[in-house]
Amino acid sequence: MIRSRNLRAVAALFWAGNRNKLLAGALLSLATVLCGIALLGLSGWFIAATAIAGLSVATALAFDVFAPSAGIRFLALARTASRYGERIVTHDATLEVLAELRERLFRGWAVAGAARAMMARPARLLFRLTIDIDALDSLYLRVMVPLFSAAGAALVAGLALGFIDVRLGLGVALFLLAVGLGVPAFAARHAERPARRRAHALEVLRARSIDLVRGQGELVMAGRLDAQSMSIAEADARLADADDGMNRTETGVSVALGVAGAVLLAAVLLVVATLAEAGQIGAPVAALALLVALTATEPFAALRRGAVELGRTLMAVRRVGPRLNGEESAPANKIPQDAGIAIRLEGVTARHPGAAEVALADVSLRIERGERIALVGQSGAGKSSLLSVIAGELAADQGDVASLPATLFTQRTELFHDTLRGNLALANPAADDDAMLAVLGAAGLSRHFATLPAGLDTWLGEGGAGFSSGQARRLAMARLVLRDAPVWLLDEPTEGLDRETANDVIARVANYASGKTLMVSTHIRREAEGADRILHMNNGRIVADVRRGTADYESLLDGLRPD
Amino acid sequence: MTSVDAALEERSAPAAGRAVSRAHPAGRQGDAAQAEKGVSRAAVLLQVTASLLWLPQAALLAMAVGGIAAGEGASAAWLPALGILVLGVARSVADGAGSRLAFRQARSQLSALRVQAVAALCETSPLDTTRPSSGLAASTLAEQAEAIVPYVARFRPARQKAAIVPLAILACVFVYSWVAGLVLLLAAPLIPIFMALVGWRAKQASEEQLAEMGSMNAFLMDRLRGLTTIRSFDAVDRTANRLRASAEDLRRRTMAVLRIAFLSSAVLELFAALGVAMVAVYVGFHLLGELKFGAWGGKLTLAEGLFILLLAPSFFEPLRDLSAVWHDRASGQAAFEALEKLAQSGRHLVGASATPTSLREGQSGALSLSVEDLRFSHTAEGAPVFSGFDLHIQPGERVALMAPSGEGKSTLLALIAGLVAPDGGTIRIDGRTLDDAGAADLRRAIAWIGQDPHIFPGTISSNVGLGREGVGPKQVSHALEAVSLSRLAAARGPAMIGEGGFGLSGGEALRLALARASATPETGLVLADEPTAHLDRETAQEIAGSLLRISAGKTLVVATHDPVLASRMDRVITLQTPQTAGGAL
Repeated sequence: MIRSRNLRAVAALFWAGNRNKLLAGALLSLATVLCGIALLGLSGWFIAATAIAGLSVATALAFDVFAPSAGIRFLALARTASRYGERIVTHDATLEVLAELRERLFRGWAVAGAARAMMARPARLLFRLTIDIDALDSLYLRVMVPLFSAAGAALVAGLALGFIDVRLGLGVALFLLAVGLGVPAFAARHAERPARRRAHALEVLRARSIDLVRGQGELVMAGRLDAQSMSIAEADARLADADDGMNRTETGVSVALGVAGAVLLAAVLLVVATLAEAGQIGAPVAALALLVALTATEPFAALRRGAVELGRTLMAVRRVGPRLNGEESAPANKIPQDAGIAIRLEGVTARHPGAAEVALADVSLRIERGERIALVGQSGAGKSSLLSVIAGELAADQGDVASLPATLFTQRTELFHDTLRGNLALANPAADDDAMLAVLGAAGLSRHFATLPAGLDTWLGEGGAGFSSGQARRLAMARLVLRDAPVWLLDEPTEGLDRETANDVIARVANYASGKTLMVSTHIRREAEGADRILHMNNGRIVADVRRGTADYESLLDGLRPD
Repeated sequence: MTSVDAALEERSAPAAGRAVSRAHPAGRQGDAAQAEKGVSRAAVLLQVTASLLWLPQAALLAMAVGGIAAGEGASAAWLPALGILVLGVARSVADGAGSRLAFRQARSQLSALRVQAVAALCETSPLDTTRPSSGLAASTLAEQAEAIVPYVARFRPARQKAAIVPLAILACVFVYSWVAGLVLLLAAPLIPIFMALVGWRAKQASEEQLAEMGSMNAFLMDRLRGLTTIRSFDAVDRTANRLRASAEDLRRRTMAVLRIAFLSSAVLELFAALGVAMVAVYVGFHLLGELKFGAWGGKLTLAEGLFILLLAPSFFEPLRDLSAVWHDRASGQAAFEALEKLAQSGRHLVGASATPTSLREGQSGALSLSVEDLRFSHTAEGAPVFSGFDLHIQPGERVALMAPSGEGKSTLLALIAGLVAPDGGTIRIDGRTLDDAGAADLRRAIAWIGQDPHIFPGTISSNVGLGREGVGPKQVSHALEAVSLSRLAAARGPAMIGEGGFGLSGGEALRLALARASATPETGLVLADEPTAHLDRETAQEIAGSLLRISAGKTLVVATHDPVLASRMDRVITLQTPQTAGGAL
């Protein structure tokens, strides 16, 4: 059930993409195959007919050579043209579908719940997604198109031979369809297991290689480096086994189709010889029939790869499909109605999807506009969850959340493979160059910026590679300033920075946050020091809410890490 | 090239796992030679024979039609039909057997190459700056290396077929008609010429373009990883549109290249189709008596004419196959290069392949450590981190290594553990020199707690045991208890943790590393690299306590910048590196 639903989702994607192009590609592919069959068939007929006509001068002179020879030349050119057209159109259509697929997947993942799940996904699963996307293109190029053209060719060949003899035509068409589709279908079932095992073994090989490189220190110190090499070799052995299974099946399809072709050719020879003996046909038609039978098996060979990979393709369909089906709505936070209040939570309970324990338990909170709040507590106390709920990233199971528009400054610096301008424009698409330069200066990046010859057009690597962690943090800060939202939620903003940079970043944040409501989750004293209020969290609850100037405030500050 | 092009190009390289460097022409030739040898002569011979079997099969078919034309009865067709069947079966089986053989040989070559590359990765120190990232190494070893199999399995058979089969066919055709032979002979060399003219290069460009298509995946991944930020800026719609727009743009550019690239194969198709058409028309006109020349003075029979026609398409087929494997060749050679690059070892890890000579018995007690005249720099031309450095630590001493910047102290710990070979000087543990031969034995006496402990996919218990000899369930549960992880381990039970320690907090991951280090009680030296960095105060205190507990009665060396932890040690050594590193920003 689920399988067919996902398959439908993916098929719908292909269909919605550009059905005319998809159909045109399949039709051109059929035309190519038919031209090839007709070219050889007509040539065979022509040679046999001329040979017989050439036996006497009279028949030779009466023979119309021009129509068939022109036909042969036309088919030669038409075949080339349609083949070229087929390749262009099918590739274009596939690229278009894949472009659409990426957009749809992104939107599918970008809804709140899915986004969190995505963040929690190990890199291995993220990587799997890319492989799945690539696997999908074989659905059209290697399954649908060859299926259409091979089946079409079998029907047309049957029809052509049916004019010679109905039984012959019917027999050939049925044989071609039964064997030509039956063998790949059997192979697809047979190869499904090795195809899955192959995909799995490749993932294992990949994961173990990552473990070898990343965990090399641990492994060598534990005397297990050799064992890890062996386990990689073992994964390769399993991969080789699955590869071998698929190759055996693929070769089996080739051999079976080859044998079927030989059987068909021998059978058609006997039939046409019998028909000729009975005087129903002459040698030219016999030659035509034989050459049609010879060429009509060929297009089925193109199904070989698609059939063997079908297991893998369906696996991709199953994994990708749900993201194309589901349309969840993002939780939108209300705006607090009371004047002067920036954030209001009433009895909020929340849990992460799939988690047994609640991340927030009955949290109530009122934060006034312009207040600066520090959020402290051990790792896992619920600080990040509280920020996520306020930002609308995590939906509350119970209770009421209201907040002015808030921007979340994530714990991990999230920069993108894009230009500096593109990274900044994400926060505010209306910002012009001057505004961008201003915020870069505000974040303390002017000096570094001056060293970039391409200026705002400088490209950042994947995940912001090319910028040091300090620079990346500053750039993220510049983006925050450019956003200019009334509420800033900062999740451990200077973690991992050296003291000097950290203090500079804090000072700059404080400078630009005037008039804003600020909430900082932190372990470090320097980040909490300027706060009007400190909230102490434990086990998903706020256990203390203290204001500056009280003794509790000072003791909470003293409990934080000094550096 | 626009900056967009440059950036995409740059990224497409690691994303598609392509080898960027083409700096090893010698290696490339070596690889090609290796690929040639990859498939045995038998495999090639079987496939060539299969192709050649079409000759007698076509002859039988032509003769049978000739028989029909001559009015021979259906009974005369039985023998050729049987022959066609037998030869057809033989052809399929021979081809199947040949390609299976070729596949197997190519596949075992891939396994051998993987083993080589893995061995080289093991030998390379984790401190080597030129070492590939884990992601790149994994995609080279796993996905990219797969391209070797089709290349090795298909290229040589296809090339041999292209060299032998057309010649054999040409010879057969020439026997009957020099005109038909000439038509084929003229069409064949025109193919490579025209292909070169229209787009052999364009085809390569198209492959690069398709690799960029792979980089679209990287684009998607890059944006998915930062979804929280994108959502926070209300930029989901903009980003999705941008993703679509650049995918569309890439599609347009790809198609522009493909339109030209596919022309080259269209040329091949055209010549093949025209070659067949011209042969058919010539033979037809010749049989009709309009073109009397070309058959060595005689006149072709129907069977002979048909035979020539049947051979014509097969003349071009091997050429078409060869052009198809050309694609495999490009990616196969790139895979060879990339694997070879992985196998280039840089900085050496001490005693990577050595195995311990004997099981040490019992407790080794606290060990002494002495470092004499140590010299080390990260790169040959770079400033030295250590030059003439000495350090002596008594058995049972607890020492904190502190340094202004993070560099020197972590490097020193790595040197002591043999994770990187020094440029000079000696390191002695318990009086024994740390070298390739003795490293494995010495490491049995060392417990290591790295700065960013790697968590392997598996259970908490398997992460503690790591499959080590002598670390059974008893030792594991003991170790977990020592670092207060028992409750967590019991709660998780057989649940998998892992890939990068997903599901564990920073403190829990560190505790796990401590448990790992304490699971082998016979160790006498504990090395810990910044164990309390990035932890909140309470957790840092607990970790420090656990560390001291598990290293009781042993020598302990801790690299740290945490003054609280340092104050709990017997001695603090502040490293004076020859050159202090500049500001981080």
